[in-house]
Amino acid sequence: MVNVKDKIASLDGVKIAETFEYVCSNPAQERIKKAVKEQGLNRVVVASCSPRMHLETFRQAVKSAGMNPYFLEMANIREQCSWVHDDKSKATNKAIALVRAAVRRAQYLEPLTPSKLKVTESVLVIGGGIAGINSALELADKGYQVYLVERNPSIGGHMSQLSKTFPTFDCSACILTPRMVTVAQHPSIKILTNAEPIAVKGSAGNYEVDVKIKPRYVDTAKCIACGECTQKCPVKKPSSFEENLVEEKAIYRPFKQAIPNASVIDKDYCLHFTKGVCGICQKFCKSEAINFNQEEEIMELKVGAIIVSTGYTLMDPHLIGQYSFGFHPDIITNLQFERLMLQGLHKPSNGEVPKKVAFILCVGSRAAIAEGVGYCCKIGCMTAIKQALLLGKSVPDAEPWIFYTDVRAHGKGYEEFYTKAREHLTTFIRGRAAEVIPNGSHLIVKAEDTLLGKQIEEPFDMVVLSPALIPNKGTKELAYMLGIDLGPDDFFLEAHHKLRGVETKREGMYVAGASQGPKDVRETTMESMAAASKVATFLGKGEISVSPEVAYLVPDRCDLCGICIDKCPTKAIGRGKKEVILDTVSCIGCGLCVPICPKEALDLKNTTDKQLVAQIKGIVEGDEATPKIIAFVEKMTAYGSADLGGQSRRSYSPEIRIVRIPSIGRLGIKHVLHAFAAGADGVVFVEGDDGLLKEDKLREHVIQFKKDLGKFRIQSLRLQSTTTTLPQYEKILALFDDFVERIRKLGPITQEKREEVKKFLEGEKNGP
Amino acid sequence: MKYAFYPGCSVESTEREYVDSAKEISKVLGIELVEIPDWNCCGAVDAVYAFNPLHSVALAARNLALAEKMQMDVTTLCSACYFTLSRTNKILEEDSGTKSKVDAALESAGLKYNGGVKVRHFADVLLSDVGLEKIKENVKVPLNNLKVASYYGCFLARPPGICNFDNPEHPTRLDELVEALGASKVNYYGKTRCCGASLGITNEKIMLKLSKDVLLSAKSAGANCMITACPLCHLNLDAKQKDIESHFHIKIDLPVLHFTQLIGLAFGMESNQIGLQRNCVSPKMIIPLFASNTQHK
Amino acid sequence: MVHEKTEHDEEVKTVQQVVNSESGKDFLREVMKMPGGEKILGCIQCGTCAGGCPTRFAMDYSPMQIIKMINLGMKRDVLSSSTIWVCSACYTCATRCPRNVSFTTLMMSLKNRAILENMVENSVDSNFHKYFFEVVNKYGRIHEPELLVKLMDKTDLRSLQHNANLGLRLLKKGKLRMRAPKTEQNKWVNNMLEKTSEKVSQ
Repeated sequence: MVNVKDKIASLDGVKIAETFEYVCSNPAQERIKKAVKEQGLNRVVVASCSPRMHLETFRQAVKSAGMNPYFLEMANIREQCSWVHDDKSKATNKAIALVRAAVRRAQYLEPLTPSKLKVTESVLVIGGGIAGINSALELADKGYQVYLVERNPSIGGHMSQLSKTFPTFDCSACILTPRMVTVAQHPSIKILTNAEPIAVKGSAGNYEVDVKIKPRYVDTAKCIACGECTQKCPVKKPSSFEENLVEEKAIYRPFKQAIPNASVIDKDYCLHFTKGVCGICQKFCKSEAINFNQEEEIMELKVGAIIVSTGYTLMDPHLIGQYSFGFHPDIITNLQFERLMLQGLHKPSNGEVPKKVAFILCVGSRAAIAEGVGYCCKIGCMTAIKQALLLGKSVPDAEPWIFYTDVRAHGKGYEEFYTKAREHLTTFIRGRAAEVIPNGSHLIVKAEDTLLGKQIEEPFDMVVLSPALIPNKGTKELAYMLGIDLGPDDFFLEAHHKLRGVETKREGMYVAGASQGPKDVRETTMESMAAASKVATFLGKGEISVSPEVAYLVPDRCDLCGICIDKCPTKAIGRGKKEVILDTVSCIGCGLCVPICPKEALDLKNTTDKQLVAQIKGIVEGDEATPKIIAFVEKMTAYGSADLGGQSRRSYSPEIRIVRIPSIGRLGIKHVLHAFAAGADGVVFVEGDDGLLKEDKLREHVIQFKKDLGKFRIQSLRLQSTTTTLPQYEKILALFDDFVERIRKLGPITQEKREEVKKFLEGEKNGP
Repeated sequence: MKYAFYPGCSVESTEREYVDSAKEISKVLGIELVEIPDWNCCGAVDAVYAFNPLHSVALAARNLALAEKMQMDVTTLCSACYFTLSRTNKILEEDSGTKSKVDAALESAGLKYNGGVKVRHFADVLLSDVGLEKIKENVKVPLNNLKVASYYGCFLARPPGICNFDNPEHPTRLDELVEALGASKVNYYGKTRCCGASLGITNEKIMLKLSKDVLLSAKSAGANCMITACPLCHLNLDAKQKDIESHFHIKIDLPVLHFTQLIGLAFGMESNQIGLQRNCVSPKMIIPLFASNTQHK
Repeated sequence: MVHEKTEHDEEVKTVQQVVNSESGKDFLREVMKMPGGEKILGCIQCGTCAGGCPTRFAMDYSPMQIIKMINLGMKRDVLSSSTIWVCSACYTCATRCPRNVSFTTLMMSLKNRAILENMVENSVDSNFHKYFFEVVNKYGRIHEPELLVKLMDKTDLRSLQHNANLGLRLLKKGKLRMRAPKTEQNKWVNNMLEKTSEKVSQ
């Protein structure tokens, strides 16, 4: 039997080759350090378990021996070799190939040092609802300067509009407003209302944000909130805080507990602005707080991290026409019902107290139509149950009816709350209402009681609709401005569904609350705490470590064509004077910019072209196995999936030899050609599901390779690609097996063809 | 303004006053209705489709192929035909399997349909192409005191994606027409509810109930007259109004006019010009309401 | 089962047999390929269709229940239900369905399937379509009097009287066309029929 150690020992550049049983153990580590020091080694290759396990361990070991840690290379001969191949001789051969590739790559490794970057110890929180307020308080208490930027003239968000919260019946304002006051009084929090971010520059740890502050025409420092101006103002307008149920004046205080507790002028209605007359408010203001000449201000904020907590809004129920919203004043939304509860429950049509109220759920949610959204609003059921109970408490002989499809009572205390509603004689009809028919003073709801299998037509005093929750206006634009993603539901996308729920794809940017998806106050608060914690961890040391595995410019090649600028997923490439500028802090080292540069002016540290080519050659040159398949595998999710397959001891074909890379987007056609020239008969590409190339982009990328291979008459069947999630190892390993079979049937690539490709590559190397 | 005119089977016989009045007002408004030569039954929603779907699509497509040769938009008086022909375009666009079979069938009949002939309900032609302003200009007898319940039925409003004449739940275009003629519109529940359609033949009692609901909801909302835009709806609501009355032992007495007849009245046309004598529920009772505006008998 | 067998048990067993049978799953697969059947697995059984259906009161199964039954593969119950014949094709359900299921189109496809599989032989419901097809192909256009005459139960005196009344009413107004309308027949219908008559039961 061939001996791996002996084979490797005979390779060029290998001074020592030793075997250990537990190479991660202390004695073995000491042995490595000793060898480095005493033998003057300048590279170390550890062939053992997956680098996802112990790369850092070994890097530290060689570092403590005085070697740059990036001179340490690993070969995965455990999870991706000995644990998964039954044929001993083939497995051994593959192990030799993997170590050989690592040795060849090691020859091109360069010393790298992570840089330290000082961070700005202040935080921007966009959105002043309960999520933003909680994050701001948490961070301010930790000692950070917080800027709380809110689009409306007061902080508080939708929670300030609610009557009581479920399931505890806490008075919403009572639990919210003390926090609002604390925010206002906190020395480390600066509140900017009537304000929105308009531009974001910089990188994680050092963002520069321009905030536009619209004038409210009232000096909040002088205003004492006496209300005289509001009383005297002759102009009325619909109140958005009251959800258009009542009118307020053109100069108004948003609500009683508003913060800042000052008036604001709506210039679309104020006569001074629309007609150049009036000015009564100014006349009567004893504090001289009114200033019609106040101007828009742009403030430049420097912050280390950003939390996006912009909340939600309700879908327009006009879009679901069968419920006749807008055709009768007593057909309202659940948010309007909250306001009515606080105004003294009455019918908007005639002021009478409603007794029989229908609550219609799922207006626009769980839908597959253009007017609706596909997801559940999460709070509709509980809100209706809460409102039904509140109705019962405040109106004798009240008859709340809830028309539902599925009651979702998922949180703590929710199921018990649902039971309470039934015990307090809320009628539940299992059937989504078909239509609401205005009929003079009352409203008729038509539905099928699907449990009884009977159609019903019931008259009601009032109908309360549960519209879908959608992202707040301006979400798309803000996402683009910040450089973070939106999910398929158009809410801000978290970095990982389970494990990184408040992080985004960009370092230093976090998301909390309903801006990430519909949820209740409890979940929102937890997310806001988590986001604050993440920010504190990120900024905590006063500096952050920036990975050196970033893109860099090869001197004198860039001609500023700019193709790379749009390709970069984190906007890390900018236009300089003579060439592009790379922001190494924003760079995530994916390598997508490298193959598309027509001048080959870009490369990626620690996955340079030379390193890649050496590894590709090393992995297939020098043994006679057939066929030989190189599998390029994205380094986190896809590679992790292969490891998981190894841990599960799922056997597969040893012909597969894996090369770990940041993203399939790092590869250009030349790498694929090198693979075939060096001895591969087939190439597979595996990208993580959450990787930088999504399914369709991955397919496009590989289809282009297939087209280019056509020049050499290399069959397109010799390439295959797939994406995978971490647990889906069965999928990719089964794909490997099928692919090996396919290549076996196709047969090896002829030596002539390999020579042809080699010649072409030589020609390319000598100048395009 | 020229259109390829698709009369539809019902209009030829049981609802001939509909096409008569349509032709009369077209003369006034400068619309030329060129009847599609040798047109055939469209298939009537699901009448043929349920027995042989492919044949149904082929029948409808034959009309579209004939119209294509005329290089004009198709317009029809019948909402059901409007639906069926519009649906045909959609099927041929989306289902390539059916399309190739229909192409073969058309070829055997010596025809070819390339697709894209626009199908428009006549009401849409009047409201979009002629416009309310021009219609108002021609009103000689404002229909004062008429409280008109516009009946949209199923296919003027629905389904979205095939029939896009108006908002599916709260249509208003016929009501706007009513007001332009000087009458008042009536908002009532039944305006988009089904009249029962061909159930009048297979399950008459159901159709009677459905049409009864439509008529009574119009009446209780204060209507003294109703207009329709579909010959089958008209048959159910007008010709069968007597059957509804006797089945449910009620009196309804609500005249149901084709919307083209209402326009004709406002244009000052004689009753027999617009075929009012053919309406089963006599419209005589509403004439005096606005007759003072001119000399109507 | 520990208790004594009753006929209820048989019924439960029969439903289980259908639901878990291959033929049941086949039915579901077939329906999914029919026009209108593409999205039925997306149905959340909310009941909006049933709630707004104007003829629901005359149906043995609501539209929502029909979809449930299709999902469970209950072919015989679906194709022999009154639901598919009582549907007036008003499209109210399809317009309102939040999951974009075109139930009305599916009803038409199921009518066709029921006719093809002889599920409703000689009922006025299926005969309506059969005779409509025949009359349209005979003349190129429909001729209602002939259709009605074919459909009428000649032994039911009351309905004969009733139809005669309607006929008379229309005749008096000059709206009853006794002569059939014709297109230039020549060969076009027959040529077409040759291409379109795949599996038609006559």
